[in-house]
Amino acid sequence: MTKLLQWLLAVSLLGALWALVTFDLLDLSLPQTYREVAWPMPFYLLISFGCYSLATVGYRVATFNDCEEAAKELQEQIKEAKEDLRRKGLKI
Amino acid sequence: MATGVDQAAGMSLVVFSLVLFTYYSVWVIVLPFVDSDHFLHKYFLPREYSVILPGIAAVILLICIGAFTVVIMWKNRKPKKVD
Repeated sequence: MTKLLQWLLAVSLLGALWALVTFDLLDLSLPQTYREVAWPMPFYLLISFGCYSLATVGYRVATFNDCEEAAKELQEQIKEAKEDLRRKGLKI
Repeated sequence: MATGVDQAAGMSLVVFSLVLFTYYSVWVIVLPFVDSDHFLHKYFLPREYSVILPGIAAVILLICIGAFTVVIMWKNRKPKKVD
């Protein structure tokens, strides 16, 4: 089984579980509090993933060592690239 | 270690995402288990907004990306030459 199929299987399993709890498809009559926690779950997972990515990026920005020569070289390359593109007609 | 603005920007990103994560977690997970007359409910909007507000933010993000693309493509359209 390919990785894609494995992922799709896992996602659809979790999705079915979530739909079961949220829309009460089997009439399990769970307590209201558990249903209230369950229905925003997909959005909650999305937002926590976003927060994790933001925190990782921020942390790596804060702890990355300064490299003076690399920074100067990069500025030079940016200027060259802008000139090149301007000659070829792209306007930013 | 990075210096100056880099460190400040990075750390503020980390703090912001931690605050957002904590607030959202309390909103979604903790609040249903808390009695409805507890003072904590005063600090949180009704539950539907916990889905609507991120949805609106996502739509605004997509609109900004689309607008940027449109502006760049507009500036680079080549008018047809008339002989």
